[in-house]
Amino acid sequence: MQALAKVLVVDDDAVVGQSFDRVLSKKGYSVSTAMNGQEALSQFAGGKHDVVFTDIKMPGMNGIEVAQRIKAKSPWTPVVVVTGYGTPDNEAAAAAVGVADFLRKPLLPSAIEEVMERITKKPIIEEKVSEIAEEAREITEDASKSMGVGRTLKNIGLFFAAPFIGLAYFIAFPFIGLGMLVWYGIQALTGRSGSER
Amino acid sequence: MTKLYIHPLQVRIWHWINAICVLALVLTGLQIRYVGLFDIMSLQLAITVHNWIGFILLGNFFIWLSFYLFSDKIKIYHPELNPKKFYRESFGQAGYYGWGIYRGAKNPHHMTPYNKFNALQKSLYQIIMLLVIPVQIITGILLWDVERFSGIVGLLGGVRVVDTVHVLILIFFSGFLFIHVYLATLGHTATAHIKAMFTGYEEIEEEDPKDSKEDKHDDKVIRMSTSESPSPLQIH
Repeated sequence: MQALAKVLVVDDDAVVGQSFDRVLSKKGYSVSTAMNGQEALSQFAGGKHDVVFTDIKMPGMNGIEVAQRIKAKSPWTPVVVVTGYGTPDNEAAAAAVGVADFLRKPLLPSAIEEVMERITKKPIIEEKVSEIAEEAREITEDASKSMGVGRTLKNIGLFFAAPFIGLAYFIAFPFIGLGMLVWYGIQALTGRSGSER
Repeated sequence: MTKLYIHPLQVRIWHWINAICVLALVLTGLQIRYVGLFDIMSLQLAITVHNWIGFILLGNFFIWLSFYLFSDKIKIYHPELNPKKFYRESFGQAGYYGWGIYRGAKNPHHMTPYNKFNALQKSLYQIIMLLVIPVQIITGILLWDVERFSGIVGLLGGVRVVDTVHVLILIFFSGFLFIHVYLATLGHTATAHIKAMFTGYEEIEEEDPKDSKEDKHDDKVIRMSTSESPSPLQIH
């Protein structure tokens, strides 16, 4: 999941895009950059990005509007606002749009990684379900493997026990045969005497 | 008639190699043990042939053992753990061989790929393949080089004991060969079972569905009428 996540970084300063690219590419993310809002939206329309980082102050369309349009088109895509102008108004506007996070420049690489990790992480419940499913799968696999081994051992055990059981049956064969004859004889006699009465 | 794939290729190859080896071992063995009874070849040659064929049979036995140990057909050699069922089926089968067959009765045993032997055959082959043949192989190896194995021979009671066991089993096999060939002719035609041991397919008489409930769940086979195309059947 993490290795395949596609990140779109929108900033009119090319150095910011390069910095995100350097930090996130190392972590296995695929990073593409846009220098303005219009370019970002056209890239997003054709790129199926998983996460968008956007600056606020850009020529033309600002970052809040970019976030708004992206959220309108794809409400499940997390958008993170990154700005050097972190005013309460901007923060409130971004929150109203429903951004995933609001970061202030300058950014440390660790902060970018941390945000990425947090927003690309599955919800806890989903993660728990996956963990439980994985554990269940492992337990099932182990159980079927041990059952398979057990069945094979049982088959081999029966195979090698067979001649001794067969021999015991054959030794007892004449005695059982005689016993059966006697039994049938008794049955016949008692049946006949019963019918005579 | 329905064709059922009963004898896998490995078993057929093993069977015919075994048949030739046992026949040769019985003949050379009788010549070696009962000198003067008949002379197929010189005594020295008979001993050499007997020893070599003995080792071929040993290798062939391990081919048979490996096949059954590593395939689900191992079930064919599983014992019947229910004595009541064993004796009911065995006496039924003995009754068929001794009486019913002469009166045109149907064979009470219904052959399937995982239940190809009737109750009597099953026990007999279990004893032969896993007890009698191993004992014969061991005693044969001991007698092949008595000096080398003198310690073990001594532990077993000496050459006389080992030789007696080996010869008693030889006599048993000499008689068994006749019984085996006779029983092999008791198919729906005299050569049906023998032919099946070449092709792998046994021809089974169509059963009344209500009579054929036994072991149906164990044998997932595709049955095909012999009147249809003669393409090979598949076992799944």
